[in-house]
Amino acid sequence: MTRIAVDGERCVGSGACEALAPDVFEVTDDGVVAVLVPEPAEGDLPDVEAAVRTCPTRALALVSEQPAGAAG
Amino acid sequence: MSVDAAATQGTAPLPRRAGAEDLGIDLSDREFWVRPPAERHAVFDRLREVRPFAFFAEPEIPNMQSGPGYHAVTRYADLEAISCQPAVFCSGQGAVSIQDIPADLNDFYGSLISMDDPRHARIRRIVSKTFTPRMLERVIASVESIVDEVLVEARRAAEAGDGTIDVVADLAAPIPLRVICDMMGIPAEDRALVLAKSNVILSGGDPELVDVEDPLTDLLMAGIELAGLMERLAAERVTDPRDDLTTALVTTEVDGERLSHQEIASFFILLLVAGNETTRNAISQGLLALQEHPDQRARWVAEPELTRTAVEEIVRWTSPITWMRRTATRDGELNGYPFAAGDKFLLFYAAANRDPAVFAEPHRFDLARDPNPHVGFGSKGPHFCLGAHLARRELALTFRKVFEQLPDLEITGPPARLQSSFVNGLKRLPARLGGAA
Repeated sequence: MTRIAVDGERCVGSGACEALAPDVFEVTDDGVVAVLVPEPAEGDLPDVEAAVRTCPTRALALVSEQPAGAAG
Repeated sequence: MSVDAAATQGTAPLPRRAGAEDLGIDLSDREFWVRPPAERHAVFDRLREVRPFAFFAEPEIPNMQSGPGYHAVTRYADLEAISCQPAVFCSGQGAVSIQDIPADLNDFYGSLISMDDPRHARIRRIVSKTFTPRMLERVIASVESIVDEVLVEARRAAEAGDGTIDVVADLAAPIPLRVICDMMGIPAEDRALVLAKSNVILSGGDPELVDVEDPLTDLLMAGIELAGLMERLAAERVTDPRDDLTTALVTTEVDGERLSHQEIASFFILLLVAGNETTRNAISQGLLALQEHPDQRARWVAEPELTRTAVEEIVRWTSPITWMRRTATRDGELNGYPFAAGDKFLLFYAAANRDPAVFAEPHRFDLARDPNPHVGFGSKGPHFCLGAHLARRELALTFRKVFEQLPDLEITGPPARLQSSFVNGLKRLPARLGGAA
């Protein structure tokens, strides 16, 4: 399972992620991104990976988790 | 001088503050910045190859104290490394001026672009939400009608006269001007003032726009006039809030605290100036590049789906903002260069955008270029362009609509270039609408 992690301190709400994957990310009224789909579907992964890569403040990360849920 | 970690993987550190006189290069020479782009890029190529941290004396500006000089960063990797370490390479000592700015000017131009976190992050969040793709969907309809309106007016101007237009005054300037004024809620009758004053603020000291004997007074006066406009609007919005950015600025609280009068004024000026000058120069020089590359133009006309990559390539190719400044907050070493606290670095986005280490055939104008990790909106870090989405939408709509509505647009003469190291700008670009002749 792949989960999206956001560093709320780093995020400046540039919306670069939202432009690339609007179904997954949304910049909220706080000016910080909200992840609409924390565990994106396989088909969305290329866009999500592009969003993680292009985030200007490196506030996004993809975290791989074991199916057993043992990983934090 | 710092010598910590001087040896990087066994290689000797680069010498400190090496100039470029032996290469015949002086980036502080004002005449350099009006030379044709190909010549300027040849110089960037040379610096990137042989002197990646070339050190230059600061250009002299009347009534301003020149500092110790600056480093010109021309390699993509160095620029990115500096940009994503904002604590080591700060913006708070000035990001848009080589000289440290006098306090009275900094009050006007020291908005979040010249600010560091945490203060920067706090203020940036107020406007972030207004500039997200989702929020922009709301203004896209108005951007579309603005572009239509401007193109109709340009056609009318050509038909009323001898068939000629000025691409800058008739197309490239009015589109972003009207978009940003609408977003801010600035009435139509004040647009001319906004354009004239933002031209002065980003004149780069061009003698056509400011008094070369005393450019600072002109700059200050331009800021005061825009601040006056803001005060008038802000007072109206407090009693009569509307769905515009000015209302958001005067009413939004961050961490329970409102923006101060000064913060609102300087931010208002930043948005107007940044919203105007950058997109304008991407439009005018994008149209020029398309005329110079007719094969690329023909392909884009035939393939609307090329728009996404085409817009990115135009931003890379034109790099409307040539540089931003950072200042080292401590001693250290960067990719083999030992730096000291207080060192100034100019991040030459225009140079990084042609770095062959990142871009295959960097001097080829390729509208299908993909991936295109250009730094035309800034590199990684907290200061990435706030208006990137808006600019992309404005550019996409403008070029597509020019193809549809002004297919006969033909550039007829050389551009008049702005004498500025900071903005890669055109003052005029003569053209003709063939059908009107």
